[in-house]
Amino acid sequence: MGKQEPSGSGRVVAISPDDGSTIDLKSPAVAALLSWLVPGLGQLVQGRRFKGLLFMAALVPTFLAGMWLGDGRVVYASWKPGEKRWAFICQAGIGAAAIPAMIQSWRLEGPKKQPAFLSTFMVPPLSRGQPVSPAYATALAKSDPGITTDDFRPLPPWQQFRPSPPPGMLDRTPADQLSIWHKRLGRFFEIGTLYTMLAGMLNILAVYDAWSGPMHPTPRDEKGKK
Amino acid sequence: MTPLAALVAVTLLDRIPGVAYGLPLVLVAAIVFAATHHEDPDKIKRATFEWIGWLGGILGGVLIAVWLVSWLA
Repeated sequence: MGKQEPSGSGRVVAISPDDGSTIDLKSPAVAALLSWLVPGLGQLVQGRRFKGLLFMAALVPTFLAGMWLGDGRVVYASWKPGEKRWAFICQAGIGAAAIPAMIQSWRLEGPKKQPAFLSTFMVPPLSRGQPVSPAYATALAKSDPGITTDDFRPLPPWQQFRPSPPPGMLDRTPADQLSIWHKRLGRFFEIGTLYTMLAGMLNILAVYDAWSGPMHPTPRDEKGKK
Repeated sequence: MTPLAALVAVTLLDRIPGVAYGLPLVLVAAIVFAATHHEDPDKIKRATFEWIGWLGGILGGVLIAVWLVSWLA
């Protein structure tokens, strides 16, 4: 974290590694939180406009590009046995953009067994045999090109997800929604996941920058420059 | 970029499907690494090119090694 200014004014400052000038970090904790929520926002609040816009311009499009490449399916939170989405830990680093995934996961596992607004946005994939609300089953059949109403069996008061294997897969393959996505998106599921993960992880560096200012070169590097 | 490096890059882009998707990620990572080490825009710009060299070199080296292994196998 930045240091208190020696004059005792209470300001928290960092020292620029470029020219030795002081950088007013204002409230580092608030700036770090803002930078997590929206990449670069913390730096903008601190008055470091160039860096704030740079982080924003680099990380937000990377995350969105990943979402686009993965057809909007690659960011979701799931902790079910057999379908733990470890990638989400990295994706969550992007902040506000990943929060809907947590809400959708919580809603789908909740008593109503349906995501918020019946939207399929950032909803975790259904596992085979998973019960969902009839309304969500209908919404899913309408919005997911790999799923039809025939993929659900009545299990009052729910609809149970029991899809037949996608064309081209072996009949004995126990299909679930994730395998349907992989079949449809191919390598773009992984590429989209990689983009969103990297955007999240790099934003952690931006958060650190808002909290503590720029990283200083190691003493060995400084010695090498002399 | 030397002619040899350009030739290697073009060959890799042509032979390995999807490798082009990695290039924007190298650029973004280089920008963020540079921006977290400097405050001055000019220094950030210069450091971005240095990081592109380092990241591109390391990842490109690994890629060439993997490609050679798969080609020889």
